[in-house]
Amino acid sequence: MPTEPILSLSEIGHRFGGLNVLRSVSFDVPEGGIVGLIGPNGSGKTTLFNIVSGYIRPLMGTVTYRGVPLVRETIQKRGLAGLVRTFQMPQVFEQMTVIENVMAGCAKLTRTTMLQDLLRTPAARDQMRVIRERAEAACERFHLCGLRDRPAASLTAGQRRILELARAVVGQPRLLLLDEPSSGLNTQEIENLREWIVRLNAEGITILLVSHDMGLMTVARTVHTLYFGEIIASGDMASIQRDPRVREVYLGV
Amino acid sequence: MTRRLLWIAVALVIWAMLPFVVPRNIADLLVFTGIYTVAGLGIGLLLGHCGIVNLAQATFYGLGAYASAYCTVMMGLPSAVGFVVGAAISMTLAYVIGRPILRLTGYFLALGTLALSAIASALFFEWDWLTGGTLGIGGIPKIDIFGFVLDRPSRYYFFVWIVAFACMAAARNLVDSRTGLMLRAMRDSNTAAASLSIDLQGLRTRVFVVCALFGSLAGSLFAHHVSFVSTQSFTVDRSISFLLIPVIGGATSIPGIVAGAVFVTFLPEFLSNLGDIHQILFGLALVAVVVMLPDGLMGALNRIRARYAARGNRNAD
Repeated sequence: MPTEPILSLSEIGHRFGGLNVLRSVSFDVPEGGIVGLIGPNGSGKTTLFNIVSGYIRPLMGTVTYRGVPLVRETIQKRGLAGLVRTFQMPQVFEQMTVIENVMAGCAKLTRTTMLQDLLRTPAARDQMRVIRERAEAACERFHLCGLRDRPAASLTAGQRRILELARAVVGQPRLLLLDEPSSGLNTQEIENLREWIVRLNAEGITILLVSHDMGLMTVARTVHTLYFGEIIASGDMASIQRDPRVREVYLGV
Repeated sequence: MTRRLLWIAVALVIWAMLPFVVPRNIADLLVFTGIYTVAGLGIGLLLGHCGIVNLAQATFYGLGAYASAYCTVMMGLPSAVGFVVGAAISMTLAYVIGRPILRLTGYFLALGTLALSAIASALFFEWDWLTGGTLGIGGIPKIDIFGFVLDRPSRYYFFVWIVAFACMAAARNLVDSRTGLMLRAMRDSNTAAASLSIDLQGLRTRVFVVCALFGSLAGSLFAHHVSFVSTQSFTVDRSISFLLIPVIGGATSIPGIVAGAVFVTFLPEFLSNLGDIHQILFGLALVAVVVMLPDGLMGALNRIRARYAARGNRNAD
């Protein structure tokens, strides 16, 4: 049964200076799916990601999220609508502790005014308690309890990835955008990450995954191959690996 | 816990006795310390939690002072009205100016706030119909609370410090709240904070407004203390000395703000006994603190404490 796509990209085009980084890229991400995006360095993956998450406004084309055009929406509005991303270099809040990092991820789920916070009204205290409880639960779930009060600056690359993932998931995303989540991780950590992706997807979070890592990519049901700003192949990972153009791009054969 | 309560009780007793046991000029400086603490708290919030250098605090300090002076002397209104009017004008101005200039970051933002201070200082001078220009506005009445007139430093001391403690409590609340959490996130990474739907621009503007509120309160307190306000008190120099408070004391620590306020009120006064060289000595002291204690007096104190704790642990092993 075909489902309504949660995200729909239509003829996205973008240029940096004279360089066409994206040329008429179109694809859909079905609700509840895992979609992968592969391509060699400089193929436009991160630019496309920045366009979807709102860090770059595309010169051409439209992005539709749950039937609503997104191109003019701010990053913050997209986040509130459930579209959350992680970064190629994990962006943890270095001077904050692990638990505070996760708490920052659920700040958007509650509302307080500046005055309430200045006066520490019962409403402000309640909201803070809710934030703390959610963050505690997320720490438990992502096995971060042992690191709870450590400053995020002291974490290893693998721990930072998991922290970033926990911080994104605690904000209750519908569509999670993961940008090169396996870079800098060892084999065991990649396996762990893979399990998380499958588990989160099973819970109903749609995932759009950008990666170099062909092994990790096998979690995706559909994979699009981007090459110099164009999609040259789409399908499941097995068919992508057999595709002659992809083999040429990646292996030079 | 009981030990902590004991410390608080001792501190309170010392605080309550202080204005009666020290000479009048020191009591006067203690009042100024309280006033500077209030103004410095706002800058500390911006500097320590948003990474914003605000060189415009003398503007809001001036607005508070002139509002109090004008409302009480020219219009004969009660002093509370001056406080409220000053706060309302300062907060409105901070909002209107803050929205455009807080788009800037780093040095450019610092220069933007410096420009605001320079413009305001020039306007205080030019608009003599309102501010009295260099002649200023004199005869500002002392605050009276139900007939109890705060006409001596030892009396005004309590009023100023109660306001200062209330402001410290508010600042602490803010830091510990959801807003504080978002501020620290924003300070550490704008990019990631935006991805978590934190409204960077709005948050900065609101903290700037709170900073202006503290500045204005301090200005009103100042006006009622000295009874006379003129343009000399609200120049760019004053903005710089306000910025020094969190820089010296430690921007993220509330006791640090008090320590910074003590530094900028007491040190120049003591050094002035040494004659004309005092400004140079103050400059040297300042450079020494900033170079040797990059995280301020409180940061240094915490490091010493950590070292002692580590030594204690080693001995215990």
